[in-house]
Amino acid sequence: MKNSRSTILFLALLSLFMFSIGMCQIKVVTTLTDLKSITELIGGDRVDVFAIATGYQNPHFVDPKPSYILKLSRADMFVTVGLDLEIGWVPPLLNSARNAKIQKGGEGYTDASLNIPLLQVPASVNRGEGDIHIYGNPHYWLDPMNGKIIAQNIFNTLVRIDPEHRELYEANLRRFVGTIDTKVKEWTEKVAPFRNTKVIAYHNEWPYFEQRFGLHIMDFLEPKPGIPPTPSQLAKVIEEMKRENIKIIINSPYFTTEDASLVARNAGGKVVTLATSVGANQNIKNYFDLFDYDVAQIVSALQ
Amino acid sequence: MDHSVKNLLVASLISFCSIATSSAQQDSTDVDSLLVKQLEQQMLSSTPAPSPHAAPRSAPTANPDISAIGDFRSSYTSIGKRKVETYLNELELQVASVVDPYARAEFLFSFGKDLNTGELGIELEVATLTSTFLPYQLQATLGKFKPQFGKINILHPHYFSFVDFPRMINNFFDSEGMFMEGVSVSGLVPNPYDFYQELVVEVGRVGSEPNASLVQGETNRLLYMGHLKNFFDLTENATLEIGLSALTGPNKYAFSTTIADLDVTYKWKPVQFNTFRSFTWQTEALLCKTKPNSNENVQTYGAYSFAEYQIAKRTFVGARYDYSAFPGDKSLEDRTTSLLLRFQPTEFQILALEYQHANRSYGADVNQVVFRVIFGIGTHAAHAY
Repeated sequence: MKNSRSTILFLALLSLFMFSIGMCQIKVVTTLTDLKSITELIGGDRVDVFAIATGYQNPHFVDPKPSYILKLSRADMFVTVGLDLEIGWVPPLLNSARNAKIQKGGEGYTDASLNIPLLQVPASVNRGEGDIHIYGNPHYWLDPMNGKIIAQNIFNTLVRIDPEHRELYEANLRRFVGTIDTKVKEWTEKVAPFRNTKVIAYHNEWPYFEQRFGLHIMDFLEPKPGIPPTPSQLAKVIEEMKRENIKIIINSPYFTTEDASLVARNAGGKVVTLATSVGANQNIKNYFDLFDYDVAQIVSALQ
Repeated sequence: MDHSVKNLLVASLISFCSIATSSAQQDSTDVDSLLVKQLEQQMLSSTPAPSPHAAPRSAPTANPDISAIGDFRSSYTSIGKRKVETYLNELELQVASVVDPYARAEFLFSFGKDLNTGELGIELEVATLTSTFLPYQLQATLGKFKPQFGKINILHPHYFSFVDFPRMINNFFDSEGMFMEGVSVSGLVPNPYDFYQELVVEVGRVGSEPNASLVQGETNRLLYMGHLKNFFDLTENATLEIGLSALTGPNKYAFSTTIADLDVTYKWKPVQFNTFRSFTWQTEALLCKTKPNSNENVQTYGAYSFAEYQIAKRTFVGARYDYSAFPGDKSLEDRTTSLLLRFQPTEFQILALEYQHANRSYGADVNQVVFRVIFGIGTHAAHAY
């Protein structure tokens, strides 16, 4: 009798242990909220995701706070935009994370840019051109069709580290791809009447969005990428807007609107602040909301 | 009876596990539309099998990261024969790379000019191998490095807010800070409040560079150093770091010098506009006990406090106050006040203008104005927070 009680207790504990293993979530750290959103959409309940940058933060300039090291030290998976977008803050974080799984080449490391058809890959690299990204423009998540490739890269890592739940991830990936295709059709139809509209942007971070939705970015408030607007550049843009009848200046949440507003006032245009990432405002809760919001903003400004 | 109970439990265990495994799987009945079926087919044909080491994009070269940083200065000093100086203070050449899947290495050479002799000297300031794959989440570095004593000693001059080290570092160590040759081991300390706490322990000998407090020594007595870093996120925009350091090592009198240090750093940076506004307040104080002979223990202090405010995307202003005695000598004291204006056209160029007034117990007051230009090329690893 004593033996059978011990066996019952042992098996009950074993069951609890097995159950806890089965339910144990995969800890994921992503650099951006967009990658967090896609990881959650593919990983479902299996993943517990933390994004380092907020949705309203300039992704080039994030402080590598030690508290992020703590998150990375416990992570099973790390997802990065790559292409040197986060070169100023990801290397010091990974170097201190003391976690082999998420280092480059580790099974949990995910470069979301793999297989992305890149735009603006420079033929030569010269810092005289400003903050040039040597592998190409890294703001590729702003084309929703690239979201499918990002999702595929995230799926590959999830299957690699958690093959038991492959079917779940496949089903979620299929659903994600289907939703993107359906939504892209809706979004492009909404923007279709305004195809080839000429616009100005603050920073060169919209080429993928521009290509997908048929806008035509003529110039930037920054004279060169990463160099703050100068009076001569603003004067040049004002002249250009008047000459080309450009009415829209696209700003990002993390740039002050002073320069854009000054140009808009002098050129008779208006400033549209588009969201660059999920969480840019409280209504943008996932990757689909991001484009719902941006498309609505563009359409409303151009109507 | 026993058998039936066991069978029942085994059966329940199996079903429990299968429920656990399948509980996370979602019903896919809602994805059977024609469109999704087509997508499924496309995906089955196009989805590559996940590779265990999918290679991220990298430069088509195995060269290490190489950077060169120049530090040019012009200065006016109120005393001395040559009141006006203009010189290249330092050229820092850094070479760093991953060695293999288990370690990375860094070498840093400093080409500096001796203002007294006018000669250009070359110094190896850093040569380290850092292991990234130790058990228990430990990290170890060996070689020559700047020990993690306090907050500011570890910085190289191009990363200073002000143009020079605080007097405390100059007086107790050297104008370049303190160097060490040995081993450094660090680990994250688990704690019930789940904040970042890192313990660093370093053992070795002080670097061969001049050092006012410590010497390499003629005996087996080594330099031991410990640093506990505590980091708190106060809000999304504000952080607080409190560090405690202590070291003990041989001094020039063939006895020991022991130094304890406390550093406090508050940083504020609004996340949304973090490239436009920021504020840093940093204070550090040290207590040095120098043993010049077997009967005596001379206790002296040093401290600094600075605040820096970013007034525009590329412009910073700051002020610093320093107090410092010297190791083993209470009669010598420095009190300096510094005002700073810094302009950074880009991340690769910094122009700084600093005015400093020094009140010295051992000489006349000194006023100094320094104009410094930092310029860097190549790939330089990002600095820690």
